[in-house]
Amino acid sequence: MKFVEIQNVTKRFSNHLALNKISFSINKGVVFGLLGPNGAGKTTLIRILNQITAPDSGNILFEGHPIKRTDIERIGYLPEERGLYKKMKVGEQALYLAQLKGLSKEEAIKRLHYWFKKFEISYWWERKVEELSKGMQQKVQFITTIIHQPEFLIFDEPFSGFDPINANLMKEEILELKKKGATIILSTHNMASVEEICDDIVLINNAEIILDGNLAEIKTASKLNQFQVEVGDIDSDIVNLLPTEYEILGTEKMNGYTLFTMKISQNATPNQLLQFFIGHASVHSFKEILPSMNEIFIDKVNSYNKSHQHE
Amino acid sequence: MNKTLLIIAREYLTRVKKKSFIVMTILGPILMAALIIVPVYISNKNLKEVKILVVDENEFFINNFTDTKKVVFSYRSGDIEKFKKDCLVSGQYDAILHILEGTQSLKSNLYFFEEPPMNLRSNIESQMDKLLFDKVLKDSFNIDPAKFEIIKNTTRSSIAMIQTDETGAEKKNFTELNRIIGMICGFAIYIFIFMFASQVLRSVLEEKTSRIVEVLISSVKPVQLMMGKIVGVALVGLTQFALWVVLTLVIVLGVQITNPGFFNKEQIAMEMPISPDGTSEFMPTADEIESYQDNQGIMEMINAFYDISFTQIILSFLFYFLFGYLVYAALFAAVGSAVDNEADSGQFTMPVTIPLILTMVLIMPMAEDPNGALAWWMSMIPLTSPVAMLIRLPSGVPAWELMLSMGILLLFFYFCVWFAAKIYRTGILMYGKKPSYKELWKWIRY
Repeated sequence: MKFVEIQNVTKRFSNHLALNKISFSINKGVVFGLLGPNGAGKTTLIRILNQITAPDSGNILFEGHPIKRTDIERIGYLPEERGLYKKMKVGEQALYLAQLKGLSKEEAIKRLHYWFKKFEISYWWERKVEELSKGMQQKVQFITTIIHQPEFLIFDEPFSGFDPINANLMKEEILELKKKGATIILSTHNMASVEEICDDIVLINNAEIILDGNLAEIKTASKLNQFQVEVGDIDSDIVNLLPTEYEILGTEKMNGYTLFTMKISQNATPNQLLQFFIGHASVHSFKEILPSMNEIFIDKVNSYNKSHQHE
Repeated sequence: MNKTLLIIAREYLTRVKKKSFIVMTILGPILMAALIIVPVYISNKNLKEVKILVVDENEFFINNFTDTKKVVFSYRSGDIEKFKKDCLVSGQYDAILHILEGTQSLKSNLYFFEEPPMNLRSNIESQMDKLLFDKVLKDSFNIDPAKFEIIKNTTRSSIAMIQTDETGAEKKNFTELNRIIGMICGFAIYIFIFMFASQVLRSVLEEKTSRIVEVLISSVKPVQLMMGKIVGVALVGLTQFALWVVLTLVIVLGVQITNPGFFNKEQIAMEMPISPDGTSEFMPTADEIESYQDNQGIMEMINAFYDISFTQIILSFLFYFLFGYLVYAALFAAVGSAVDNEADSGQFTMPVTIPLILTMVLIMPMAEDPNGALAWWMSMIPLTSPVAMLIRLPSGVPAWELMLSMGILLLFFYFCVWFAAKIYRTGILMYGKKPSYKELWKWIRY
């Protein structure tokens, strides 16, 4: 089911086009990766979703209806450029932000106490924000983002500034929110976390979508037909015996083993490659090399930029 | 709860709870009360008797000086050098008046060890002048000084300044006082506008530099945030103002109750001229008459003070403070949103504040001629009218002019909020380089 639909959204600033007829949709209950190089237009799109700015043309549909002002209370937004009032006490501030999202004071206090307890930060309540470390402030910020139990969450670089332990805690919380039914946009440059938690992605470059779809499908479609074979004893003339369907991309000697990086042509299968190696060497390990999201990202953006340079 | 109200409440409460607010609120009235109390206290203190030894080479003034509450004269003759040595340091006398030999135009020296009260010299001089004058009247013209005094007092002319209103009815007027009140009000409004409008600028900058603004405007509209801030700070200003007035009154009244007679008007009036004791059995001296007239002047001033329409001034003060502040606060909010740090804000606040500073520079000429062209125009132009109109008000301003000026300010306020909101909503999300005026113009247009 489509939860949010972005239809032909265009936004132009005085001297550049930030979004050029962008269209995609986000299914309910997924973690959706919004990817793209710096300056691609991600933040502009996020601001449009949050109704901070309006698109020049195009529509945003929220559960099928054009997004309205009151929908803002159903959205939780953690901006990349985040901050809190430095001189204000943590509890007071969290309460204020929760109330601005439409919670009553009593309800906000109740929920804040729950989260402060859960994150083991209850003793910060009376402290001023400026006394907290950056990571601590991020935790408070995270709580204020989700305190009104929004159905739609937008996290812009949520892991930056966290140590690995807290980054992991955040990741678990995001997956927990997904489990509870929230739809989540994750905008990040950290491709490892995209692979770990995103279901679908969209890759924006230079105001346009250059890749869009289910993460697993994208990865499968981007398969390079490359395999890594690790062998022990080896026939000395293995290279000469190699059929033309297989290509050696690289060899590497490690701890007495030899590591081959192989590419197979379209009409060959991995089984055939393995059989070939079994006949000529003692195979130690065999695995397919899947492109990482990082590689897909770089590959797509570079090839886009190259093709547009020629224009 | 309405979100704008939440913002107002936060802006208000965080400021009111600040130490600096509490300190300013307490210190302000103490300073104000001190301004009222200290001069009175000092002049009361000076009531201490000054003992003067008169050594007159002509023997004319012996026993002729009139003692007052403040000054007591004694007379001796002998070696002035010896008196100087013996009587001054010991404190037997506070000063020695040595009148040198002469006839009509006398030379005298006043010797002292500790500096005598400021007005002592003029006190003695006027007494001597009077005595000499009477002597010459009698000796050279054979005129009885008492008769002369009567003639002098019955042939006096005085001009009363009477302003009329639209119906031709009299308005009591006291120009000097009007000017002073006008200047005080104008100055107060200037300080208030600057103090609180620049708080708005700082507050906008704080939200921008701490980057909390993006979180906020994902919950509320930028214009709500801006107006919440402006109104919140305005309420802080009004609270501080009200507390100042109340606390100042409490202190002044407190002093009066614990020290009845501290602010005795008669006494204050007596302090100003140097008057001999009014109960003297002698005929009134010129000094006494002068002092009487000065008393009259002061009474008149006090009456005029009560005649000034304070309700009108206070209401107008509140109106002009509020809307003057709102105009400047909106403009300052726009400036705060457009820049990244306070240092850069100067370039954009300057064109906005120049009119206000200009008004301050022209405060004297405007007070001198409150109905002149300069004051008239400045009280109509919205950026200058809050100060200029307050300067004019105590001297009386026709109702239509006041309404016109208020109306213009009100319209200009709407314009400023519209204008500021346009810049604000774009500016708060812009980081990096300082925008040019050309860019600001673009922000307004989209």
